[in-house]
Amino acid sequence: MPAESLARYTWASYLRAVLAVARKDWLHFLRYPLNAVFRIVEPIMWLTPIYFLGRSFATAQGNIGFKEYVGVGDYMSFILLGGVLSSFIGAVFWGMGQSLKQEMDSGVLESNWMAPVPRPLLLIGQTVASITITSVTTAGTLFLAWLVFGFHVSGNVLYALSAALPMIVALYGFGFAFAAVVLLMRDANTLIDVSNYLVSIFSGSNFPVQVLPRPLLVISLALPLTYGMDAVRGFLMHTRTLIPLGYELLILLAFMALMVPLGYAVFRRVETRCRRLGTIGMH
Amino acid sequence: MGQSTLTAPSDTLARPRVSAGSTLRVLLAVARKEWIIFTRYPTWVIAIIVWPVIFPLGYIFTAKALGGPNGASLHAFERLAGTSDYISYIVMGTVMWMWLNMTLWDIGFHLREEQMRGTLESNWLCPVPRLLMMMGASLAKLSTSFIFLILTVIEFRLVFGVSLVRGNVPLLLAVVLLTMPSIYGIGVMFASLVIRFREANAMVFLVRGLVSVFCGITYPLAVLPVWMHGVAQFIPITYAIRDTRAAALSNASFAQVAPDLAKLGAFAVVLPVLGCLAFAYTERRARRTGSLAQY
Repeated sequence: MPAESLARYTWASYLRAVLAVARKDWLHFLRYPLNAVFRIVEPIMWLTPIYFLGRSFATAQGNIGFKEYVGVGDYMSFILLGGVLSSFIGAVFWGMGQSLKQEMDSGVLESNWMAPVPRPLLLIGQTVASITITSVTTAGTLFLAWLVFGFHVSGNVLYALSAALPMIVALYGFGFAFAAVVLLMRDANTLIDVSNYLVSIFSGSNFPVQVLPRPLLVISLALPLTYGMDAVRGFLMHTRTLIPLGYELLILLAFMALMVPLGYAVFRRVETRCRRLGTIGMH
Repeated sequence: MGQSTLTAPSDTLARPRVSAGSTLRVLLAVARKEWIIFTRYPTWVIAIIVWPVIFPLGYIFTAKALGGPNGASLHAFERLAGTSDYISYIVMGTVMWMWLNMTLWDIGFHLREEQMRGTLESNWLCPVPRLLMMMGASLAKLSTSFIFLILTVIEFRLVFGVSLVRGNVPLLLAVVLLTMPSIYGIGVMFASLVIRFREANAMVFLVRGLVSVFCGITYPLAVLPVWMHGVAQFIPITYAIRDTRAAALSNASFAQVAPDLAKLGAFAVVLPVLGCLAFAYTERRARRTGSLAQY
């Protein structure tokens, strides 16, 4: 009698698997309510020293030095928008990057991977949870920031989303590859921590990248995220952008088209390697 | 068979004999164990080398942007901070912050990690004072803090051309030494809180967040509203940052910062005592509720 899989794959079953994984991650998130609250409050704590640093540079005419760089003096809205986008960078590096490793450490990765669903679906479920959790916490952060610092945007939100969405999708594509690489490492905390911080800094989350020295500016301009942050600020705050906005959107779309299949390919390769070597249960 | 045959005579029960020698042995054994675990994951070397240089970068470049391409806003900062050297000014604050942050993660997570690994309960069954085990772990972490501080001084000289050890060096050392007990007192208190609330990340974010918001790691305290000044006065790091800047950047004398030194001295006594009390309370509570193995 020929072997026959009992699992019947349909689009509906895929969707159920994705939603089940996303629901599980949401439950984990809500089970530690203090951590959940701090996801909202913590960015404010990072931004406060920058707010007061800005106050200490303010002249009677406002932040004229900053205005010379970007065309607007409202440094706090500039940094807040950077903070919002870097929270997605953090979610990809820490949430996605650590997702498989954490399951491995808890000893549930092997059993989860035995479930009769394609393994990438498990990561897609985690991506859905990560994007929705980060969006909710970021909205909370923006509301708090509006209360504490004041937050003004005068541009077109839909245009800004047209730049932010491809950037976020590309980031999560990269997250697939990063999660797979972290799975191969025994202790990846330092790698994640340093990479997350450097990518956020060099993509200009806290300052206009024009202030960087030339060698660092080259790194910054090589990161597609730099154009994502620049474009979102350009659409929402009418800042002077690095290159015309149309070109920045093209770079972001190309980044998305590259990163999603690349991330998937790296993940499949690492998955095959782990199954062949039987290293899923080791850490 | 009589019941008496099942009961051990009281004189055969082993009772630990606590002496100065045994105390020291316990302390060193725990410190050695922690050091071995620590060195088994060598990525800490990368962290300890990379972080001192990259962490202040964000603030330094933000300050550069705020100053403007021609330094149009720099005079405003100089008027409030007493120096236009914003790089050294920011670096002095971030070093103190990183030191505290490192202690919070290392000591604060020490008990939590044992709890997660499932070894806390069995270790606490050893016939040695629990506080001693905590102090042994702190001793191991203290050595990494020294490595961190020495590397930081060397790296800032090489990468930014900033000499951290300058101005009134004896005063600078005195401030660092007076700050040390406070930081480790906060660390032990923090470890107890983590065991109590079991949400370690959130607790780190809270404590280091309070320091970054109130203590002036990047900005002069003069820009703070009055109520925030009031809060900052109750945090030892505020004085540590202010005095290291005064000693290194303004060459201040002992007499000029004497009131701050007295406050740092008071914190150096009070915070370790509070740390021990918090630990003793947590220990009692955990034994009563049987919550050591829960996470």
